[in-house]
Amino acid sequence: MDIITVEHLKKEFEYYRKADGLKGSMKNLFRRETLTKEAVKDISFRVKKGEILALLGPNGAGKTTTLKVLSGILFPTAGRVEIDGFIPWERKNAFKRRFSIVMGQKNQLWWDLPASDSFYLNKCIFDVDDGEYRKTVEELAELLDVKDLMNVQVRRLSLGERMKMEILASLIHRPRILFLDEPTIGLDILSQQKIRDFLRYYNEQTKTTIILTSHYMRDIEELCSRAVIINQGQLVYDGQLADLGHLMGDSKLLTLMGTRNLKKEQLAPYGRVRELAGARAVLEVPRPALKETASAILSTLPVQDFTVTDIPLEESIALMFQKEVTTV
Amino acid sequence: MEKERNQKEKKLDGYWAETKRCLRLLKVFAKVSLMSQLEYRANFAAGVAVETGWMLIKLLYVAVVYRVGADIGVLTPDHILLFVGIYTLMTGFYMLYYGNFTSISRMVREGELDLYLVKPVSLQFLITMRRLDAALLLPDFVAGVIMIALGWARAGLPVTVVSVTGFLFFTVCGALLTYSLFLLPHLLCFWIVATRGVAEMTSAVWDFNNMPQLIYGKWMQRIGTFLLPVFVITNFPGLFLMGELSPLLMAWGVAAPILFFGITRIVWKRAVRNYSSASS
Repeated sequence: MDIITVEHLKKEFEYYRKADGLKGSMKNLFRRETLTKEAVKDISFRVKKGEILALLGPNGAGKTTTLKVLSGILFPTAGRVEIDGFIPWERKNAFKRRFSIVMGQKNQLWWDLPASDSFYLNKCIFDVDDGEYRKTVEELAELLDVKDLMNVQVRRLSLGERMKMEILASLIHRPRILFLDEPTIGLDILSQQKIRDFLRYYNEQTKTTIILTSHYMRDIEELCSRAVIINQGQLVYDGQLADLGHLMGDSKLLTLMGTRNLKKEQLAPYGRVRELAGARAVLEVPRPALKETASAILSTLPVQDFTVTDIPLEESIALMFQKEVTTV
Repeated sequence: MEKERNQKEKKLDGYWAETKRCLRLLKVFAKVSLMSQLEYRANFAAGVAVETGWMLIKLLYVAVVYRVGADIGVLTPDHILLFVGIYTLMTGFYMLYYGNFTSISRMVREGELDLYLVKPVSLQFLITMRRLDAALLLPDFVAGVIMIALGWARAGLPVTVVSVTGFLFFTVCGALLTYSLFLLPHLLCFWIVATRGVAEMTSAVWDFNNMPQLIYGKWMQRIGTFLLPVFVITNFPGLFLMGELSPLLMAWGVAAPILFFGITRIVWKRAVRNYSSASS
């Protein structure tokens, strides 16, 4: 069952252009050139209840704008969005109780107080029952491993600890939908992993629908099975992550370790040379010819070891980032 | 007909329930704000000291009036002490939430409103009341109450149920009008983004109240009462006590806070629709 429906969503912003220097500023004072930026152009997708969807795209692609429209922060220029039976920009309180949004670069916690005070404030704002509130905080603090930090001032917490607290604060009212905009940005590997583990577990247990944007491929690979990729405001891919690899062509990577330095001319007949550094080389080889090519290399070139890997997901996505036309 | 009446009653119940909820939240905001301020004891003490300093400067006006000893129309120096007391008390109330008004511009510019827009409570209430500064209220409240009591007693004004109730009523009306009237200019930031100049202008307008309106000319009084009703805020409680408030002005004293609150709600809703956030 679809819990989120987005149809032909469009969002435009107006902005001013200013010429360089003081002269430009003076000119701007009297006459401004108004320009329109189409942040989101005709995007459509659906999300099923309990699904974790990756919303991907390069910086400025329109991911955050899309999430802001979906959470009712922004009014769209055109299009239809329905979330759990609500139209987000009507900003009904009943809708606001159904979802939560966490932005990696913004915080809702009171800086000078322990996070527990901000949780209490959210409890009051969302009218959460005392018993339910205590149970939620205890359970989530345990899962996120922040039990001992509940009484520490937010400003004294590390970035990772703070993000865990932000996530906890956003879940006080047990939302059915969670929008996560780069929740692991700037975090160390351990904190990223902890947050990923928590989100996976939480999604399994509560069937909370999640839309996640992140520039870290590990977040995407570990949490999502489906991705929507947008570029310059346009949808360029909507499908399974596993299928993204095929868009790169049916190829594999062959990493060779020679007994002495390898040369490009030696390798070129067997495939596309992607990397070459002394005795180490990486070749892109068509999958059907893999076995044959590997055996030919081993018999003709001074190679002592080799490994076969898939083309990284990151590269498939990077390719999508360069596309402009919808290929759903 | 009955269905319509039921719907109206339901709507009214909804408003009442929301008002009660806001009052409950206001208590929580006050508590959390105070806890937050007490984390920095020196800053809290400095806030009290600065506001006390400002208040003492205002007292100098009264000292000058007493030294000269002259009456201004129907106003004796004791009446002036009473009016300055009301002005000081109102300044305290205003300062309690003033910081929220000045931060609206920054919140709009930096897209900070995003995370408040998704809370299931009136955004206007949340943005304008979430931080309450007790350090700024305290000295003005204490000094204001003392000055009012002294001025009232020395001027020989009546202490009856009617006078006290009327005085408190117009004080509450004034406090409500302050909120609406002085929030309006800050809402301009939704269109023009930076509003430091506007904020400074409103502070200057507020200071028109540090002396009774009777010292100004007729036209000035009319403008300050009806067009930009800053005089209603601090003068009406005192004028009521002195028996100088005509029935028309009494009605206006009640109507102005309701009218301006309505205008503020309309402008607020339009302003928020205009909010374009900021890129992350």
